[in-house]
Amino acid sequence: MILRVLIADDDPLIRDVLRDVLDDEPDMEVVAVASDAREAVELAERHAPAVIVLDVRMPRGGGAHAAKEILRRAPDARILAFSAYTDAGAVDEMRRAGVTDYVAKGVRNTELVAAVRRLGRL
Amino acid sequence: MQRDESELFRLLVQGVRDCGIFMLDPGGHVVSWNAGAERINGYAAEEIIGRHFSTFYPPEDVRSGKPDWELRVAKAEGALEDEGWRVRKDGTRFWSNVIITALYDDTGELRGFGKVTRDMTERRRAEQQLTDRRRLLAHLVEAQERERQRIAWDVHDDTIQAMVAVDMRLQLLARRLPEEHRGTVEHLDGAVRSAISRLRNLVFRVRPPGIERQGLRDALAGYLADTAMAGEIRSTLERVPGDDAAITIFRICQEALTNVRKHARASSVAVELSTVDRGFLVRVADDGVGLPDLDQGSSHFGLIEMRERAEVAGGWCTVTAVPEGGTVVEFWLPDVRP
Repeated sequence: MILRVLIADDDPLIRDVLRDVLDDEPDMEVVAVASDAREAVELAERHAPAVIVLDVRMPRGGGAHAAKEILRRAPDARILAFSAYTDAGAVDEMRRAGVTDYVAKGVRNTELVAAVRRLGRL
Repeated sequence: MQRDESELFRLLVQGVRDCGIFMLDPGGHVVSWNAGAERINGYAAEEIIGRHFSTFYPPEDVRSGKPDWELRVAKAEGALEDEGWRVRKDGTRFWSNVIITALYDDTGELRGFGKVTRDMTERRRAEQQLTDRRRLLAHLVEAQERERQRIAWDVHDDTIQAMVAVDMRLQLLARRLPEEHRGTVEHLDGAVRSAISRLRNLVFRVRPPGIERQGLRDALAGYLADTAMAGEIRSTLERVPGDDAAITIFRICQEALTNVRKHARASSVAVELSTVDRGFLVRVADDGVGLPDLDQGSSHFGLIEMRERAEVAGGWCTVTAVPEGGTVVEFWLPDVRP
């Protein structure tokens, strides 16, 4: 079964490469790409992806708020926070918003792919 | 009659207590001493006569060759006036005004130097307490911190993000390339990753330390913990430093700890804060191998930055190697509040 993934990140370079990295995996498909928090909520509702890769600092609401909204509308969605911020405060805020896992930007692609796959199987 | 006059003159010089008046031989060794010099410098005549006058200078000035340079200038130009830190017998410092005069005899031969020293510490302190000066200094420190914060944000949110994207792209590319080209791209990827890691260190160093949230001592302890070095912070400060003094203390300690981490190969480091001469004395001591280029007064290892920060705040900073191994960074900042 193909794992349907939504990407949300305000950085166009990261967005594009994330899409290519995940689409490169035979068992994954990026179904939509959002560039801010509000768009992330809308697209999550419209496409019902299994996994959402969500940036933490994003315009129009921020990652934590988006995570709460997404889970309110689609409680089965699994959210992977993907962030340049690794301080305890940022991680804590996302955990409380309901994200399942937190991956720091800068990890190897293979680790990121493994994390997405793991969430898809939960 | 003439003999009486010179005797009186000798008594006058010897008895003056407000200034140190003494003589050096042409090589810079002390040959006479008066009551004022004893009061200001702390040495009795028999302890100091015969010793080289560089004894009065702080180690950083001795290293940079300042004492000899002053004699050379006095010799060439007749006299030299200087204001700066000098060290008393007990190791404490005072701010002094010094006039060195070259003394030539009738045949034009250099006989030695006359030196007049005055202790200006009190006047300097009074100047530092002037409101305008304090405000300017506080403003300077604050502006510098704002600038650092902006740099930290820019590098973190923009530069590092872009490089992370490049790194991810290179990994993807390496996967798709035939075996013979893969190595080149992987090599490139390694270079990008190590640049990212250096930039992260930069962000870590320039970001605001959060003293206003947790206090100076805990901010220092937190920084030390983040650098993963063993060590401790001891404080016997009688008064909590003001905002700008606290940030200056933090930044100098941070620079010193960075040096320890990068160069000293130390197993532990101790930071001690104490109240001395109505100011803050801080000592950062490690048990490592010492800093290699210390003697050349080099611009390496942020030594210049530490000194600049301390001196702008009206204090001093010196770095010395300990004979039994290790390096000590010691600095003092005046408490300019009334």
